[in-house]
Amino acid sequence: MRKPILLSLAALSGQFLTAQNTCPTALPIGEGSYQVTAIDGQVSPVNCLGGNPTLAEWYTFTSPVDTGVIVTTEVVGFPLVDTRIQVFSGTCGALVCHASDDDGGNGLSSLVQFYAAANVTYIIEFDNRWSSSGFHFTLSLFPPPPPPVDLIQFSPVSIPGMGYNMAAVDMNNDQLDDMLSPSASSVRIGYQQPDGTFNFVTIATETATHTASWSMCVGDLDKNGANDLMYGSGSGVSLMFSNEEGTSFSATNYPNYVFCQRTNMVDLDNDGNLDAFSCHDVDANVAFMNNGVDSLIFEQGGYGETCGNYGSVFTDYNNDGLVDLFVAKCGCDPEDLLMPNSPGGIFTDVAPELGLNDTHQSWSSAWGDFDNDGDMDVMIGSSSSSVHKLMRNNGDGTFTNITNEAGANANNGQSIEWTTHDFNNDGWLDILGGAGLLVNDGDGTFTMDVSAPDNGPVGDMNNDGYLDVINSGLININQSAGNNWLRVQPVGSVSNSNGIGARIVVTTDGLQQIRDVKSGDGFRYMSSLMAHFGLAQAQTATVEVRWPSGIVDHIQDVTANQVLVVYEGLSTASVFEAVTPEIAVHPVPARDRITISGAETNNRPARIYSTTGALVRSATIRANTIGIEDLSQGVYILEVTTTDGALRTRFVKD
Amino acid sequence: MKKLSTLLMTGFVLAIVSCTKDPLPDQLSAGALEADRLTLDPEEFPYATLSQYGFFDGPMANQRPVAGVVPFQPINTLFTDYAHKKRFMWMPAGTQATYSGDGEVLDFPDGCVLIKNFYYDHVQPMDRTRIIETRLLFKRNGAWEFADYVWNEEQTEGYLDLMGSNTPITWIDDNGMERSTLYRIPSEAECLTCHKSHDVAVPIGPKPQNLNGPFAYRDGVKNQLDHLTKVGYLSARRPKRIRTVPHWEDTGLSLNERVRGYVDINCAHCHKEFSHCDYRPMRFAFNETDDPVNLGVCVPPDDPLLPQHTHIVSRGSTGRSLLHYRLASTDEAVRMPLLGRTLVHDEGLALITEWINSLEPACP
Repeated sequence: MRKPILLSLAALSGQFLTAQNTCPTALPIGEGSYQVTAIDGQVSPVNCLGGNPTLAEWYTFTSPVDTGVIVTTEVVGFPLVDTRIQVFSGTCGALVCHASDDDGGNGLSSLVQFYAAANVTYIIEFDNRWSSSGFHFTLSLFPPPPPPVDLIQFSPVSIPGMGYNMAAVDMNNDQLDDMLSPSASSVRIGYQQPDGTFNFVTIATETATHTASWSMCVGDLDKNGANDLMYGSGSGVSLMFSNEEGTSFSATNYPNYVFCQRTNMVDLDNDGNLDAFSCHDVDANVAFMNNGVDSLIFEQGGYGETCGNYGSVFTDYNNDGLVDLFVAKCGCDPEDLLMPNSPGGIFTDVAPELGLNDTHQSWSSAWGDFDNDGDMDVMIGSSSSSVHKLMRNNGDGTFTNITNEAGANANNGQSIEWTTHDFNNDGWLDILGGAGLLVNDGDGTFTMDVSAPDNGPVGDMNNDGYLDVINSGLININQSAGNNWLRVQPVGSVSNSNGIGARIVVTTDGLQQIRDVKSGDGFRYMSSLMAHFGLAQAQTATVEVRWPSGIVDHIQDVTANQVLVVYEGLSTASVFEAVTPEIAVHPVPARDRITISGAETNNRPARIYSTTGALVRSATIRANTIGIEDLSQGVYILEVTTTDGALRTRFVKD
Repeated sequence: MKKLSTLLMTGFVLAIVSCTKDPLPDQLSAGALEADRLTLDPEEFPYATLSQYGFFDGPMANQRPVAGVVPFQPINTLFTDYAHKKRFMWMPAGTQATYSGDGEVLDFPDGCVLIKNFYYDHVQPMDRTRIIETRLLFKRNGAWEFADYVWNEEQTEGYLDLMGSNTPITWIDDNGMERSTLYRIPSEAECLTCHKSHDVAVPIGPKPQNLNGPFAYRDGVKNQLDHLTKVGYLSARRPKRIRTVPHWEDTGLSLNERVRGYVDINCAHCHKEFSHCDYRPMRFAFNETDDPVNLGVCVPPDDPLLPQHTHIVSRGSTGRSLLHYRLASTDEAVRMPLLGRTLVHDEGLALITEWINSLEPACP
């Protein structure tokens, strides 16, 4: 129904209008104060905020110049009403979420702030999700700021029928991340198509006694080339094994009681087969050991013996070539664990010695090389306060708390999910959690961006080279552009199929970045298994994959903006062809020890490889020397991780 | 004057009895201490089978306690998927519990056993009673330990099992409605999750504030604290006035009182100091909820599951109240309580809904 427009003569509050009831009849407005007597029009078919509103009111705004716009229902002198505002671009037939707000004003009123480009019409909708009562609102303008340089924009997009998804993983080996929605009797996979659409297929599975109600992870447990699924429920674990074609799943339901929290797939004993792992809320953590032949065997003990285990993550923090375990803890025994792995899969807690045994009620942590110095740093985020802890890995087995100096204390929110990704492809890892996104400035500091979406499965859901975030039935499409990128998909043979636990090193002009391939980070979701690197303006990169087996693949002159599939041991160039001229060793040949010259290598981590690329030794260089007494005769490659990157030279053992 | 108060008391008792869901036993032993009362050696606990304790007279499935095994029922009881429960306590000869506070669990003697049968009536398709499990908490050397006995199909024996398991069950509930669930028999770790304080096992229900109410013993309806004293199970050295929990189903009480009674028994075991979820701000124990902030009223949640959840309890708005969302959910990563239910407690949720809707003004 079209309502009469009432122009008020009241000088104090400016114009009074009744709103229009449909999108096509939306009333154009400019700066001013307005009244809606009741929400009784047609609701938008596109919903950027969730919920099921049934009625709405419509306006439009167009500006001849670029401008900032604030629309708020918090108007001085009028009661605060529980409103919602959605701002769309596009047309009534094809509305695109541009900005929205529910409770940005005081007392559940709304306040939305957005940038309007010149001569573009923005459609403003108020809906009755919470209340159909009338309210007042104002529209005001402010000068647009300089275009954001580092801040990262996301636009929520709803794919019809996508539902609630737990994972963003390539399930059909086409190097496009797909989305997964598991239930007790099926898994629905949205296969990403090259044209950006999704093909949804529901695959009936054997019944999962335990559903993925607390978390899920993905990986090829049985090395048949197709990804399997691990579901963690409040009472135990179910594994879903895919056939080779990825078209059917059979269940293994474990009777053992596990109050699952974070689940992971990782090769705990480095035998080439992925094992399954689950944090246990009320007891010692559990593993399901895989010998590659039999069913996975339930084990408890050896990975943290007390309760309160929430967020496990497997990464090689001490650069010894083995994945280590960090457990963010909460509740009954909240002291976090850091357990370096020693050969054979023995994990021992060293958190107290390293100052990482915090009790700040954390459900997850984000591990990544935030300063690109060749080792994994960590953000341990709190779930119950804004006291987070950003710890810099000093490379010598110690950590330094840099929360304040890095500006991470600007994140004054809390959350159960913490992850790290390079969202703007500038080559520096950002941290998502708490009040939003800590954008890495690349100079040791972070800038807080509170507009970021909440965490969820992370992958490139529109194949534009930028990582997107799925949550609440929406894909938050990353709007960044202009930087180059590279994605590495390891395909293991001696090591596990997914290369989980592999260290991937990407070197571009002046920058070396590392990632450890993980199945399961953050608290609940499963993100892409491809290692994603932002390359900034670099056109090419050198890629090295250090497999859990010790094999190293080394690929030079990789062109940016592609997914590079690396097959274990089959790279065109192997590590011994990548010797760098900066360092030298003597004597030649050497018997007991070698002394390194040419670069500052003291207290830096070193690795010795055979000429076939197998990792022979990991050690830390002391007094510029490293012992080689027990190596057998032959030629070896020494690699030292320095502040200038990885340097390599040959030596001969007599 | 005395007669009048007795009459009033009886009226109160009847009001309570009429709205209690658990059917009250008519022939349970008063547990009068006799020469031939049950004797047990706690050093031998836990037995492999329930029958070895000899708690019950005649066929075990009749749940008739022998002398020395005293029935009791807290005023408010935890919702566990509409299961019915019968509770008993046993103590070694010459021992008794002592009072240590209205809201504190009675200080039970070593050797004491708390016994709780979980059963359903009108179980389909046979429409019979099915006892699923008998949970024991027994105290030895000053520490509580768990045992759980899973009943056989024949309902003749319970077998010790602390591994945890599930069993499907379909029954006709007290309102004549058919319900089904996959009933969870807890493992030891699950028992401890709720029954702990400072990471040490503790009972939850038997506090004076929760026992200061009537029970229909074989020889009549009596106050449970008085009865326990009479049979020698509770020291007489305790205050006359006990600050007692409101019965959450008593519609004669205010919504706020009823809610306080409800959350005390359903939520406080995890949401109080030194319990499983004490790092969240709610404090649901009865002696802490006179402050609405402890109930979460107008308190922003640490972990809002959806952006709409502006408060744990948002006055006048169930849609914005995370507490309501969690009580209305069966998703195990959302629902509260965390353990012990897979179904929504319709009556409990109705109370919480009515209460939230009655609160004003809207939270700032």
